Amino acid sequence: MRVLWVELRDFRNHAQTRLEAVPEGLVVAVGPNGEGKSNLLEGIAYLFLVASPRTSTSEPLVRRGAEAAYARGEIEAAAGRVLVEIEIPARGASRVQVNRSPVRRKRDLRRQVRAVFFGPDDLDVVRGDPAQRRRFLDEAVTSLWPLKESAVTAYDKALRQRNRLLKDWDGRGTPAGLEVWDEELVRTGSLLTALRADAVSRVAPAAEQEFRRLSGYGLECEYRPSVAGEDLAGAFRARLAERRADELARRTSLVGPHRDDLALAVRELGARAFASHGEAWGAALCLRLGLAEAIRAELGERPVLVLDDPFSALDPRRQAEVARGLSGRGQVVVSVADEAHVPEHADAVWDVSAGRVTVRARTDGRRASGVESGVEQGRTPGEA
Amino acid sequence: MYEGPIQDLIDELSRLPGIGPKSAQRLAFHLVKAPAEEAKRLAEAILQAKERIFFCKECGNVAEGDLCRICRDESRDRTVLCVVEEPKDAATIERAGVVRGRYHVLGGAISPLDGIGPDDLRVQELLERVEREGVSEVIIATNPNLEGNATAMYVAALLKPVGVKVTRLASGLPVGGDLEYADEVTLSQALEGRREM
Repeated sequence: MRVLWVELRDFRNHAQTRLEAVPEGLVVAVGPNGEGKSNLLEGIAYLFLVASPRTSTSEPLVRRGAEAAYARGEIEAAAGRVLVEIEIPARGASRVQVNRSPVRRKRDLRRQVRAVFFGPDDLDVVRGDPAQRRRFLDEAVTSLWPLKESAVTAYDKALRQRNRLLKDWDGRGTPAGLEVWDEELVRTGSLLTALRADAVSRVAPAAEQEFRRLSGYGLECEYRPSVAGEDLAGAFRARLAERRADELARRTSLVGPHRDDLALAVRELGARAFASHGEAWGAALCLRLGLAEAIRAELGERPVLVLDDPFSALDPRRQAEVARGLSGRGQVVVSVADEAHVPEHADAVWDVSAGRVTVRARTDGRRASGVESGVEQGRTPGEA
Repeated sequence: MYEGPIQDLIDELSRLPGIGPKSAQRLAFHLVKAPAEEAKRLAEAILQAKERIFFCKECGNVAEGDLCRICRDESRDRTVLCVVEEPKDAATIERAGVVRGRYHVLGGAISPLDGIGPDDLRVQELLERVEREGVSEVIIATNPNLEGNATAMYVAALLKPVGVKVTRLASGLPVGGDLEYADEVTLSQALEGRREM
């Protein structure tokens, strides 16, 4: 899969950025902090996800003074070209058109185009609380199988209903109708547990392999579900029965996928938690690379990789290892703050400055090193 | 934003379900500009509805007297009851003309998030009706969403000891639809409910 061209208008600090003929292979956006590299990558990811991987509200996406941000682009997939046009108003829902017709549900787009995004916030998947890892698990499920998104939302709804019932209970007898919410929790929860287990069984081996290549030693990546067993629904009911008294005392649901975790540890002399910042960073990155590989295996086509500042926390040896590993993965868009981190074998380099992007010219099939020799593209007339 | 009566009208209209501030404003100005007759008719219709419409003592549907039109109709099959959430659901099924029995309107679905428990619905009335009227089949036609399913399960469990046949509307592919656009949950339900040919 590949982005052919992309255009951002009033998107964060990009007043108008248009990039034509984005090549297959490694594309590197380079520039100092705060110039708009991450915003550019966010805009590209938005075309695939119809959501920002960095924020859940759309207001920060709209350039100050503008009413709405626009992201447009064309993606080439095995099944054909997909023209995506999104209008993001500061308030209210985004409007999405795919091949010039409006789509009703985000998953109608997400099943046609796939991208995997890595950003500095991903460190929380490794270092943060279990909720961050559950979010990663659900992202893995929905990016592997976009149509299964409803399994995630259904469980969430059932859980909220059941928790409210327990919370509002007056303390006499048992909460009215608790049995039916038990059943809804079991039904939706068993499905979600099975999907998460399936996703991890595909992502973990690939992530472990990536980590070994990067570090020379292994990564333990294991799904720790709240409920397990051959007969998931049966096991779920049994656990609920066991914890019934506790649940009534604490007035909240104590059994189910909302208590899952993903165990992550390095396997150097037995499993231990992450010793260094670099190790944790590497693990977070490798989880995303593993997810991309799992999507490739499932779809038969590589997703576009969008990696926001993947090198910063790594030592030079690992930086070189990651950079080397980024070729032969289909289209990979990477941002780096330091010119020294631009890999030699990059297929395109974008210089990002104050929300504007300049494409460097290439000489002899390799990119030129000097900014002066760059040919300007993607610049708004009159804005330079 | 505006002064006096026009703002009052906008405020009142925007309280209605599905009406946002902009729609309320449009409706308000439409009414103000419309002939006095038209506005009077609307006001009168609202007042009449509040004064003259009651809920059927039997089924909970909207009625003009003690009983609704369907419960008064002697030709309806008295052994079949179709359980729905809201009067509008009964009207939808009635338009299709597929149920020959009568209805029982619960008045909503169980939803703790909205503060609605089984005791807030006309469940006890349903139980009494089934026992009193010799009903042989209860068709549960609550919405095919989480709350509708939970309500169906609750009602079914309650009716089981009575010994009445309890059925639930099937979920699956819409007629005239396209397989390609069905989501996976719907498809898997359709597959579960497949029939031999």
